[in-house]
Parts: sequence; C-alpha cells; structure tokens
Amino acid sequence: MASASSALRPPLIAGEKTPAQVTKDICSVLDSKPTALWWSGFLVSLAFLLLGVVAVTYQVAVGIGTWGLNSTVGWAFDITNFVFWVGIGHAGTLISAVLFLLRQQWRTSVNRAAEAMTIFAVICAGIFPVIHMGRPWLAHWMIPYPNMRGPLWVNFRSPLVWDFFAILTYFTISLTFWYVGMLPDLATIRDRAEPGFRKKLFGVLALGWDGSYRTWIRYETLYKLLAGLGTPLVISVHTIVSWDFATSVIPGWHTTIFPPYFVAGAIFSGMSMVLTLMIVARKTMGLEDYITVGHLEKMAKLTLAVSLMVGLAYLTEVFTALYSGNPYEQFAFANRMFGPLGWAYWIMVTCNVGISQLFWFRQVRTHWGAVFCIAILANVGMWFERFVIIVSSLERDFLPSSWADYTPTSIEVATLLGSFGLFFTCFLLFCRFVPVIAISEVKGVLNVGRRREAPPVISASPQPNPAEGEGVPA
Amino acid sequence: MAENSKNHWRSLPRERDNPAVVDAGARDEFPEPPPAGAVQLDRRGFLQAAGFALAGVAATGCQRAPVEKAIPYLVKPVEVTPGRAYHYASTCGACPAGCGLLVKNRDGRPIKLEGDPEHPLSRGGLCAAGQASILGLYDSRRLGAPLIAGREASWEEVDADVTASLDRIEAEGGAVRFLTASIHSPTELASIESFLGRFGDARHIMYEPLSSSAILDAHQRTHGVRILPRYRFDRAKVILGFDADFLGTWISPVEYTAAYRSVRNVDTESNGAESNDTRRAYHVQFESRLSITGGKADRRFRIAPGEAGAALTELASRLAEKARTSFEKGSAPGSSVPSDQLVSLAERLWSAKGQALVVCGAQDVRVQILCNFINHLLDSYGSTIELSPASNQRGDDDQALAELLEEIRDGKVDALFLAGVNPLLDLPLGTDFPEQLGRVPLAVSFAQRNDETSEACRFTCPVPHYLESWGDCEPVAGVVTLQQPCIQPFGNPRPLLESLAAWSGESQSGESKSSYDIVRATWQQRFSGAGEAGDFDAFWKRAIHDGSITVTAAPTASPSEAIIGFKSDAVRAVSAARPIPEGRYALSLYAKPAMLDGTHAYNAWLQELPDPITKIAWDNYVCLSSAAASDLDVHQGDVVSISSPEIKDAVIELPVVLQPGQHDRTAAIALGYGAKASERFAGLGPKWLEKRDTVGPNGRVGVSAARFLQVAGGTLQHSLTTVVIERTARKHLLATTQTHHTIALPEHLAPRGAERREVVEETTLAEQWQRLHSPHAAHQEHHGSLWKQDHEYTGHRWGMAIDLDACTGCSACVIACQVENNIPVVGKDEVSRRRDMHWIRIDRYYSGDDDDLEVAHQPMLCQHCENAPCETVCPVLATVHSEEGLNHQIYNRCVGTRYCANNCPYKVRRFNWFDYAHDDRLENLVLNPDVTVRSRGVMEKCSLCVQRIQEAKIEAKRSGVALTDGSIRTACEQSCPASAIHFGDMNDPGSRLAGLLENPRRYRVLEELNVAPAVNYLKIVRDGKPDKQGAPDHG
Repeated sequence: MASASSALRPPLIAGEKTPAQVTKDICSVLDSKPTALWWSGFLVSLAFLLLGVVAVTYQVAVGIGTWGLNSTVGWAFDITNFVFWVGIGHAGTLISAVLFLLRQQWRTSVNRAAEAMTIFAVICAGIFPVIHMGRPWLAHWMIPYPNMRGPLWVNFRSPLVWDFFAILTYFTISLTFWYVGMLPDLATIRDRAEPGFRKKLFGVLALGWDGSYRTWIRYETLYKLLAGLGTPLVISVHTIVSWDFATSVIPGWHTTIFPPYFVAGAIFSGMSMVLTLMIVARKTMGLEDYITVGHLEKMAKLTLAVSLMVGLAYLTEVFTALYSGNPYEQFAFANRMFGPLGWAYWIMVTCNVGISQLFWFRQVRTHWGAVFCIAILANVGMWFERFVIIVSSLERDFLPSSWADYTPTSIEVATLLGSFGLFFTCFLLFCRFVPVIAISEVKGVLNVGRRREAPPVISASPQPNPAEGEGVPA
Repeated sequence: MAENSKNHWRSLPRERDNPAVVDAGARDEFPEPPPAGAVQLDRRGFLQAAGFALAGVAATGCQRAPVEKAIPYLVKPVEVTPGRAYHYASTCGACPAGCGLLVKNRDGRPIKLEGDPEHPLSRGGLCAAGQASILGLYDSRRLGAPLIAGREASWEEVDADVTASLDRIEAEGGAVRFLTASIHSPTELASIESFLGRFGDARHIMYEPLSSSAILDAHQRTHGVRILPRYRFDRAKVILGFDADFLGTWISPVEYTAAYRSVRNVDTESNGAESNDTRRAYHVQFESRLSITGGKADRRFRIAPGEAGAALTELASRLAEKARTSFEKGSAPGSSVPSDQLVSLAERLWSAKGQALVVCGAQDVRVQILCNFINHLLDSYGSTIELSPASNQRGDDDQALAELLEEIRDGKVDALFLAGVNPLLDLPLGTDFPEQLGRVPLAVSFAQRNDETSEACRFTCPVPHYLESWGDCEPVAGVVTLQQPCIQPFGNPRPLLESLAAWSGESQSGESKSSYDIVRATWQQRFSGAGEAGDFDAFWKRAIHDGSITVTAAPTASPSEAIIGFKSDAVRAVSAARPIPEGRYALSLYAKPAMLDGTHAYNAWLQELPDPITKIAWDNYVCLSSAAASDLDVHQGDVVSISSPEIKDAVIELPVVLQPGQHDRTAAIALGYGAKASERFAGLGPKWLEKRDTVGPNGRVGVSAARFLQVAGGTLQHSLTTVVIERTARKHLLATTQTHHTIALPEHLAPRGAERREVVEETTLAEQWQRLHSPHAAHQEHHGSLWKQDHEYTGHRWGMAIDLDACTGCSACVIACQVENNIPVVGKDEVSRRRDMHWIRIDRYYSGDDDDLEVAHQPMLCQHCENAPCETVCPVLATVHSEEGLNHQIYNRCVGTRYCANNCPYKVRRFNWFDYAHDDRLENLVLNPDVTVRSRGVMEKCSLCVQRIQEAKIEAKRSGVALTDGSIRTACEQSCPASAIHFGDMNDPGSRLAGLLENPRRYRVLEELNVAPAVNYLKIVRDGKPDKQGAPDHG
C-alpha cells in the first residue's frame, strides 16, 4: 500500500495514537455503559420505530387505502422512501469497496459505519416494496422458484422483478462484505472480553479468527474480492431501480438518463448520510481523533463533486425535454418546475445543487456544524428528488381527465418516520455492540513505524503484530 | 416374517390377508395413521362426546335461524337451467317514461336489466336510473309489512281500519283524494277511478316534482285537450330546445336520445349528404345552465331562466311574419340573444317547416303556449309532434295539486292516498305540513320505503318493486307494455292494485283478487271492447313474451275532449324577460340525469355516479358561472348560504361549483337531494383513521332545495325564485372525479404548439362531407412497424368503437357496467380521494368560452392495448394478453404493486384500496355470479365483459354455429340509448365494427404511444359554426 503519511499532508488519524490506544479508544465505547445521550437517542429512535410498526401493522390490516394514493397516483411515499433508502446505501458500498480499490486510505475511519449504514438503509428500503403491495402476504410470488402454482413464474420483463434481484444481491454482498471486514475486530472484542457469554458470542462471531498470517492473507484476498464484487453493485443497483421508471411510458419517468442520474443521486444522498452519521458519532462518542476534520473535508469534496453531477443530470433532463420536441415530456418538466409540486422541485434543486456549492469554501468544509447542516439538507433534497420524480409525473400524465393530486396521510408520514426510527435504532445498537471504526484498518494507516523516532518494534505493515493484542488470547 | 428375509406371496387372497401389505396400503391412503382417539372410545369418552353432541344440538336448536329452503327442482321449469341466464320482457318502473326491459335472471333472481331492443320507444337503451333500479329490489331497508302509525301491522288490521274509515267517509260524503306520480298504467288508472267512484267527492291528482304540467295546460288552451304530445325527434331536421334537457332528464330521455341520434348520425345516408335538406338535424339549445343536451347542441345560448318567453316571442313574431299570421309582439325585445341570431334561426326553422321541432321545459303556461304557437306555425303538429297518439308519460296537474295542498291545509280532506310520491321531500311545503297531513283522518301512503311522507301518514302500505309484481304500461297511447314479476316479493308487500281491490269492497265477497287477474281483466275487457280480432289468450301470451305490443289507442278518457285545431286566441307575447333584482340570482332548480327527482336517493349506485357535467358525486351544490363567483368572491367548494326574500324561512347552505356555460345571473341547484332515504349512507365506505363521512352535517346526502320551488300561475315552477347568495367562511369537500376540465393544458405550463392534447378529436360537417365524397375517402394512413407483431390474433380479435358524436354523457353505461361487473360502491370520501371504482368513466372536456362552450364527452375504459404497457411491468404476470386481443386481469394472481396502473396511459385501472363492504346479504343477490367479487389489494379494470364473450362462445360451440356479429354485446353497449358503443370482432371483415374501423372519423386515443389500443373512437362532428362566422349571410 502507498504510504499513508507525507510531510505535506496531515496524518489521517490525529493524536499520535499507538495501536493499543486505538484498540482501547474504540473498544471503550463498547465496554462502558451507554451514555445518557445514547439512551435518549435510542429511545427516540425506538419510539419512531414503534410508531412505524403501528402504522405498518394498521396499513396491512386495513388496506393500502390508508395511504393517500389514488387511481392516478399509485406510488408516492412508499416508492419514494424505497428509492431514498436504497440510495442512502450506496455511499457505504462506494466508500468501502470503490475507495478500497482506489487505495483511498482515509476511508478506514468511516467505512465500517458507512457499511453498517448500507445494511440498515437496505433493510429500510426492502420493507417498502413489500408493504406497498396490496397483498403483502403474497410477496413471495415475486420470487422465481419452482412452485405448485402451475408452476407459475414471475414476469422477467418486469423491472420490479429485476429490482427484487438487484436489492437481494446488494443486500447479500453488503452484509457479507461488512461482516467479513469486521472479523478482525470481532476477534479483538472477543480477546478483550471477560470470560462469559460475551466472550462466547464474539468467539462464535469471529469465526475462529486467530490473527495468523494465513488468516490475514485469506482475509485480505476475500476482502479484495468482495470489494471487486461490490463495486459494480454501486452502479447496478440504482441503475436497476431507475429502470422501474425509465422503462415505463409515463412522461417524466420514461427517460434514458435515469440510470446515471439515479446513481449520482444515490451516491450524493449516501455521502450526505455518511457525513451526518459521522459527525454525530465523532461528537457523541469522542472520536474526533479518528474522524478528523480532514475526513469531513474529503467527504465534503466528494459530496460537492457528486452534487455537480446531480446538477448536470437535472440540466440534461430539462435540455432533453426541450430538445426532444415531445410535448408530453416538455409538459412533464414544465409541470415539475412550475406545477402544483413546483415547490418540491425547487427544494430539490436548492438542497441538492444550490446549497452544496458552499463546499467550494474551505471554511465551510472544515466546519463540522456547517457540513452537518448541508448534509442534512442534501438528504432532504434527495428525498424530495424521488418524490418529485414519482409523484409529479404520475399526477399529470396523458389524459387531463385523470389528473389527480396526491396528499399523504398520517399513516404514510408515520411509516416514513418509522423507517428513520428503524434506521437509527439499528445504527445506535450497532454503535454499542460492534466497533464503529474498523480498528484493524485504522491501525494500518497509523504513522506508527513510519517515523524514525517511532519504536522499531511495531510493524509498518497493515498486518498487526500479535503483541498488539489482536488474535492472541489475552 | 421375521425368520424369513423374503416372503413370496402366492395368491391375491393371501396378499389381502398379509398384515404388512395391508398396512402398507393403508399408509398409502392415509399419510399418517388415523388418530387413535377417533376409533378407540372408552365409556367415559363416549358419554362425554354424546353429552356434548346433545348439548350442541339443544343449543343450536334454541336459535331461531332463518328457514332456508334449498330444494332442488323436482320438476324443473322448462326455461330454467341453473347457471344459465334467461330473460323476461318487462317495463322499467324507475320513472314514468316506461322504457322496455329484458330482465336477465339467473338461478331464480333478476341480476341485470337490459334495454329491450324491440321496444318501440326506448329501442334498446336504458338510462342510468333504470339500470340502477334493480338495486331497489334487493334493498334490505324496504318495508316488509304495513305500518300503522309507525308500528308493524298485518294486512288484515290495515284492511279493517281503512275500510271502516272509508265506509264512514263514504257515508258522510267526505272528500277523498288520491295523489300519485304520473301513472300510465291503464289498469292502475282504472282501479283508482273505480275505487274513487264510490265517493261523492273524490279526485285523482297526479304530480311530478320535475313537473311538465305547463305543457299539458298549454295544450288544453291551444288544442282543447290536456295531453302531453309525443315528441318525434326522429322526424326533426331542426331542433330547438328551451331549458329542456331532453337527452338527460326531460320526460323520456332514452326515447328522445335514440330518436335524436337517428337524425344526428352523419354516417347514415339521409344525414350525411351535402345538401341542406338532407343534412343532419341542426340543434340549437337555449338554456340557463349547462345540461348534457346543451352539450350536444350545434349552437347553444345562455339565457336567464325567465328569458325563454322573450326569446320565443321574438321567434314567434319572425315566424308569424313569414306565415303571414298576426301576432302582437309587444314592445320591448327582452331577450339577450342577439337579434341577428334569432333572425337566422327563424330562417332556418322556416326552411325546415314541417320538420322542425321546438321544445320548451319552462313551467310557464304562457311560454308553453308560445312554443305551441311556433310549432303550429312550423307545421310541427302531425309531423314532429303527435297529439294522437299522445304520450301518457306525464299526467301531472299542478293546478289540481295546488288545490289539494290548499284543501289539506284547510283540513278539508278526509282521506288522502299517496302512491309513488313523496311530497314532503319534493314539494315546497311549510314545516307545519307534516302536522297538517297528520290531521287528515285517513292518510295512506303506498311506498316501498319509509320516506318523509310515509312517516307523516298513519298508514303505510308497502308496495312491491316493479320486478316483483304484475303491471301494465301505456307510455304512449297504443304502445302497451307489461310488467311481470321475476321473483317472489321480499317481505310482505301488496301491490296497489290489490290494496285498492281489497278496499273497494270487491274483496268483501271473500276472495282477494291478485294483481295478475286485475291486469289481465283490464286487457281482456279492452281487447273485446276494441273489437280486436283473434284470440285473447294468444294476444296476452304474445304481450307477455314480447314485453311490448302495439294496440289501437284507447279512446280518450272523456269523449267530449276532442283535439281541436290550433286555437290562436290564447297566444300572447311574453314581453320582457323577467327581471332579476339587483344583488340576486335567478334560481334554476334542475334534475341530474341519475338522481332525477330524488325517488332514487336510496340508490348508492346513482349517488356515486358522477354528474355528467360537473363530475361530482354524492352531493348537490349551487352552480355559478365564474363571473358570478368572482362577483361573490367565492371559489369552488366554498359554502354559501342561499335565501330568497320571496320565500319565508327558506335558507339552505350549499357548496359552490363553478360551472362553465352557465348564465351569469343564474344559480342552479339540483333537486332530489337531502332525502331521508339517503340517511342510510351514514358510515358508508371503508372505515379507517382518516375516513370522512358520506353524509353531510344534516345526516343526509346533499340538501333539499325543494323549498325554493314555487307553485305559481297554476304550475310548479322550477326557476321562478330569485335568491340572495352570501358566502360563509366554511369549505365543503366535493367528491369530484375529474378536476381538470379541458384538454388544454394549464397556460403557464403548456409547451408552445401543444397547448391542447389531441385526446378528443373533432371534425366538422363540411370536412366529413368532403371525406365521404372524395374518391380517397376511406383511405387511412397505416404506419408499418419494424417489429414483428407480438400477437397474431388468428381467431377472434375483440375490439370496440365508440362514437363520440353519439355519446351524450348520460352515464347509463357506467351504471350498466357497475351492475354487470359487481363494482363496489366506495362512498363519498373515497370518491373525493379519486378512488372511484367505475370501470368505464365518462371524461368531460370543455372548450371555447362561456358564451360559446363546446362540451365533449368521452367514455374511457380499458383500451385493451396490443402493446399494453401494463402487461410488461406486472412482476407476477397478473395481467396478460389473450389470443383474442383482450387484456386480462387475473385477480387471484395480483399482488397489488399498482405498477400497471401507474404505467397505464389512460389511467383506467382501478385498485381495491380496501375490502369494500359486501355485508348486506340481500343486496349481494344483485351480484353477477359470472363475475368475481374482487378482494382487497388487487387491481381490476374493464374486461370487455369477458363473461359475456365466453357465454356467447360457449353457446355458439354448443349449438355448433359460428359466432354471429352482434351476438355479444357488452353491458355498456347494451345500455347506451344513443348506440354510441359498438363491440365486435375486428378480424371479422363483415362485422359492424370492421365497418366502423374504416370510418374516416375513426381514431385512437394516444395513438402516438404505439400501444395500439383495441378501443377506437369516432370523432365528434361539429357543425362548423356557420352562424358564428357568417351570420350576415344568413340574415
């Protein structure tokens, strides 16, 4: 690996940490009792989750009619939330897989959390295609498997079936990737734990990690392979999600630019979400040394770059509509901008393209509060992007007679809040039970051993010394 | 076996006894051994089981379960085959128009009403109210037993009480009044007459809330006989309508629509030619509010409600000039219609002399006399207006009604019988009227439901639904149709005829006459009296079988009343238009095509049917023009309070609806709302957190505007009142099924050059003639495709053509489809959320401005696209293409992703958002057994009545003949009074449909998407507006 340090750039990890310190810093969160801040966050999240559970139970029991949909607008909050959450997930894969392959070592501080975010976001996303069905108890009919109904197969022409495969693949790979990457850290926790249930549990979870050279070699190989497998998913998943719309005939949906547009948007929203979470984590868990301002700045730059891509997509879309000469398309975009949902369009443009331009300024990029606000707004903007695409196109399609407006019901709002509740509940539990920063990877980017005055006993290679307390029982 | 590893069996008996083999056999039969407990029973267990069973039998025996008799036919009636439909001819009783019916019966119960194509008046069509009237048969809230002062009683008690009172009244010479709706049943009329005959002071009075009394009165004055003429729209070449919604609600809309269509169809030889005498009928409508009739007119003028007289006066004076007849026009021309328009119109009428028809819906005898005068000048009597045979569809006499109300107020009525009327709902009676009615010593109401009037009467006698009883109708003299029962009556109602027979002393001899006997006796008498040749039994059988039969018209009621020539001395000019005081609006009380006078307010189908013009269901409202609304500073949905200085204490609050094409000084409110019968809809619809109720704050659907009717000048006037409108701060949610009204896009969003969507296409008469007569007329451009056809369609290929020029928007098809396809009623809240379930909807678009409004109605249903966008996106193949071109929806496969609906360019798919109630077991009898009742969470849509296609195909296969064109008629097609819808096989070159596909007017909606719909449309034909462009030429 390339050197992680240079005289020209500040170290990735601040505070002159030794590897032992790193282990201690990150694991101390897991060893101590949860703070009041954690509890309050957890309880609030749990309350939202329960609200969502109640809302979904009610909706499944009574019917989709408890949503504000109608004969014209068949999808709204449900698929908006789905695409939103799938999009959130993308940054995790991007950071963990793509940046890994690109040897971006600053990723080590954020990749664990980003991957966790991916998993939870995909879980949140996966709920919506199921509950949006009229008969969710028949959701398994979407799975092509030999069955006694004929056998009756799925319609391989339907983008919803492609979606099913895409999301399932994505979830499987992400989960595997996350878990595999966590193995050394799980072993660390196992090693630090007092004998008892916890030790046993993490012993099982660590899959017999022994920190040996051979284990490390296999781990590295597998990790690289999974990263290689994950990388195309960054492109494919949201591409396929975008086909849900692009293959339809509805003006505003039927657009060839959607795959790259959606991918860019997904990465943008994911980056923002990672930023949001990282800022919260570093503030609440005292991880300022690991998630430094430098990290925030790098993420902010990346976000800015993706924001520009998103902006380009917006412009291209409008240009295509103008240039196409297709009156339906032209109307769809005029309506999107100046029609009944015009306010949502302008929220989307402002949050996604406008405000993120502040990242051109270094002062903004390095101010955690500013970054936090912009990231939150970007998430709001990205949610609205999906809402605008889905709802404004459906509300005004071909026949003016069937034009209808959409208003969400309390059940839909509660379901959206519930999905956030689920996400944050999972994330907060994750913070408590597994190292929120990849200990083993961070150690690899420490400056330990790279400077002359450093103690020569420490290896410069990412493979940790067994003496550092990894892999060898305490 | 243990010592022998291999045990060969030697014979089958040996094999049978081998326990191992027997066990193996049992294993094959039962996956697991039979439970031990079921076979092995000890004494204690046996006693327990026996005791439980005994207790169970005893416990269930305690309950009075309804006796259900499911007895198979011992001797099967010849015509009844379980699972196969059979039809009885009958007559619709939903309104006094008397359209012919074929009642489709399945398994012993009527499930659908179809228009009788052989009927001389209705010619196969049936309106929305008629279609929906079958729901009344299965109405569980109908009265099952007579009521005495609100308490259930037996018929014997009622008979005893009523006959005792009648005997007393007869002895005392008291006044007996019989108030009914228009009756054209000869038997009922005769029965009432003979019933009243024994009393010294007895009168039979008919009234209609949508009164036409002025027409009858006017003919009394001009022709010496009080009759309603028969209007022959099918003979007219120029039609002039004054506030008469003859295609929607006026007198006999189905009959008129069919006749109107026959002279308006440009495809028929006689209407498509170029010269003026054979061009299609030219229709001009003068009206204060937009009706569906006005929407079809070639030229439409907005006039104030009181202005018809002034316009007619103008016309009359022009025509009198031409006819060289004297006519005192009076001084001031009070009409707002430009005089050059009237001049050219008079010209047009005069040139169509003998083929012109002027109809007027105004309830003002003077105006009607003028109308008669014009028709007389135009030689319409005898050609487009027939006085003999006259129509019996209306017999209302508002003068007599006014006298009766006066008598009731004065306490001069000793016995009052009310049949088929609900004056407390639909007449402008004071709040103390129920009390006055209660003071009538003998008040008897014949009703199906306990309505406002029945509640105020001491006796309520339930009468059967018209599908449960015998009856006869003579809507037009000489056209006789019979009503025959198709099912045993529910509950214990008694036909009016039988009650009258029982009370006229005829039953004192012991035997009670059945209505069948009474009806038959009437006809036997008339048959022999008229000296008809042949056998009465044969005549009777034929009449029952055919449903309608033409006989010699009975002589008029009193021979002294003979039609005389036109008496012009009654003709007076109606000078200036009635002024509308400053700050007030002229109120026009009208009827909606489905709700009519409110008789059907109990009917959920009709309540949920969007009005063809406003597209609003489940409410009435006050329609204002946009100018009036901006004057009042109100918007759609704002609640206004409406009061009239002319009528004391009459204040109602209604939401505002902005109505294009309405006269600026007119407020229009629909009658028939606020009925007690609509109280049943409280709580209708799916129940959930954010549910809003179907009924309004008054607990009913809409608000009754009957208080604003006025009995003046001897007629019940709908548009005499002027009102003050004041805004309130409240808003009212309107259940609108179409919120965007034009095919033009919102101005600020429309791309240049594409402001209008070519969804409804139009052509002009001139263009049509040109196309028809140019050599390349029928040639249509066919774009080839680079792609292989997905579907080969080797056999049938079902398709449809809908003639938009014929469609009036009456919405009969919507209800027909609802009945045929078990479409649920969802309630006002769901409709307002745009979740109405109708498989066919009528899209309504406006173009032009208020003064020159053009209306287009477009029935929109599943287009059964060849390249259907819905089919590709369904993940579970729940919607697939059939070999015959149908787009099938497979309910039990559908998981409800709604992707198909999103991707449907026509938005015709309907989703089951909830489990819609089917709790009413009696009402469930109306469900069509051939069509699945859909459950929650599945998509549904028009199937092109696939059950009818299958039925016809099976029948054809069974009888070994090929399917003939026209043997399959979809429910919408069958019901359409204008024959606008044609279903057929596009692969059959000889079919009617194939011919229509070659019609130059044919187009397909959103053709550019290349979804290749199987539903085709024929363009609307506009007149081309010669008046607008070249008015001076005509002057």
